[in-house]
Amino acid sequence: MTVANRTIAFTLNGAPVSAAIGTHHTLLEVVRDTFGLNGARESCGQGLCGCCTLIVNGQSVSGCLYLAAFADGTDVRTVESMAVEGKLSSLQQAFIECGAFQCGFCTSGFLLMSEQLLAQNPNPSEAEIRNYLSGNLCRCATYPEVIRAVRLAASRPQER
Amino acid sequence: MTPFELLEPQTLPEALALLSDDDAGIRPIGGGTALMLMMKAAVLAPTRLVSLRGLQGTLGSIAMTADGALHLGGLASLSALEHSALVAQHAPVITRAMTHLSNVRVRNVATVGGALAHADPHMDLPPVLAALDARVQIAGPLGTRELTIDELISGYYETALKRNEIITGVQIPASAGRAAGRCAAYLKCTTRAADDWPALGVAVSFLYSNRTISDARVVIGAATDRPTRARAAEALLSQSMGDATTLQKAGDALAAEVQFTTDAQGSAAYKRQLARVHLGRAVNAALAQT
Ligand SMILES: Cc1cc2nc3c(=O)[nH]c(=O)nc-3n(C[C@H](O)[C@H](O)[C@H](O)COP(=O)(O)OP(=O)(O)OC[C@H]3O[C@@H](n4cnc5c(N)ncnc54)[C@H](O)[C@@H]3O)c2cc1C
Ligand code: FES
Ligand code: FES
Repeated sequence: MTVANRTIAFTLNGAPVSAAIGTHHTLLEVVRDTFGLNGARESCGQGLCGCCTLIVNGQSVSGCLYLAAFADGTDVRTVESMAVEGKLSSLQQAFIECGAFQCGFCTSGFLLMSEQLLAQNPNPSEAEIRNYLSGNLCRCATYPEVIRAVRLAASRPQER
Repeated sequence: MTPFELLEPQTLPEALALLSDDDAGIRPIGGGTALMLMMKAAVLAPTRLVSLRGLQGTLGSIAMTADGALHLGGLASLSALEHSALVAQHAPVITRAMTHLSNVRVRNVATVGGALAHADPHMDLPPVLAALDARVQIAGPLGTRELTIDELISGYYETALKRNEIITGVQIPASAGRAAGRCAAYLKCTTRAADDWPALGVAVSFLYSNRTISDARVVIGAATDRPTRARAAEALLSQSMGDATTLQKAGDALAAEVQFTTDAQGSAAYKRQLARVHLGRAVNAALAQT
């Protein structure tokens, strides 16, 4: 990254951080390049696929379309925050049990979006899961397994 | 993206002062979802962006006005519309349209002002708001003015906004609300992937009493270069019972009166046929809400 022209301060996965950014940098670039958190990835770069999903102040955003400058003073979470002290969240566990990925490129986005869905709607129907995750693309086409995993996680008591 | 200056005013007068009618390199930015795409594709390389996000506190609200209109703040996010109880009560057609507008992440960030000022003809909110007689409130250096959607969106990616004007809100009058007996529906027809831009959007609204339709609005999006009212179809629907014969005639009138455009989503002839059929479906969807 070039031409840093301001400093932003925010909370990243619970820890206060600051970063020198350029106003034209995306939050995805900062999370990956400055902080080495590579769970979120740029794939389409157009808001369509969800591989770059980040949570800003409790709401999902496409990191590829979100200016880093907008994150100043916010609370940012990435997929790396889901496992606590090495223990996977029940959603992550369910993804593994259901084989809800093949190459795994899309998985961080599906996990964060599914987590948001379950927080808003603890027992979603298949139609609701499909609609909520319609902005996430999986080139390996693991959609049926993802839906099964979300339903499995929904059926289990939240232990986190 | 090429570097630009990013300014973050906290009040409307400050924001207006940072814009300029003479400088095409200066733009307001709301959520940035549309601007980021254009900047990444290098079709736009602004020198200065004036972020309106600092105005979210004052211009982000959704409320009823004293005269019963529904006010949507220009900085309200599309997901705020989606989850608003007031919107669901007064203009449920907006709530329903949101579930198929883009995706959760874009709706979390995109704003009402951006959804109107961008003026991509494929967008969903403009035809829906036009069918609800919405008034767009605009602030500029010399004061405020109001435009209808028809007046605001003047062409393909073109609006009547000056470069130093800001959309501060949208009002849906009481007469277009659910409580006034107005039924409305919006159907969009995507011809390739479900998340693609539609080939057609049809928004309808009308009053319905004694099993009779009156004061109908029909607005076509996506198939045209800007949201377009179909007045001949409206006239046929009004004072009808919305029966199959009327719907067919209104569909034919619509097909004849609207200027359809060819693009990647379909040819003009194809879109014309889609519109002919979908008008009746939209009216029936609206009637199902009664
Ligand atoms: C992946 C994806 C899918 C999408 N799918 C759909 C869809 O299905 N249906 C649909 O309708 N749309 C869709 N969109 C478009 C989306 O609705 C727009 O990008 C969004 O509404 C723009 O709002 P914004 O606040 O992000 O605007 P910005 O990107 O900030 O701005 C867009 C334009 O409006 C101007 N502007 C912004 N706010 C104001 C204001 N208050 N006053 C004056 N000018 C202003 C800016 O200068 C710019 O010219 C999609 C977008 C993406 C990225
Ligand atoms: S990379 Fe951001 S949505 Fe695809
Ligand atoms: S698992 Fe490969 S893209 Fe989804």
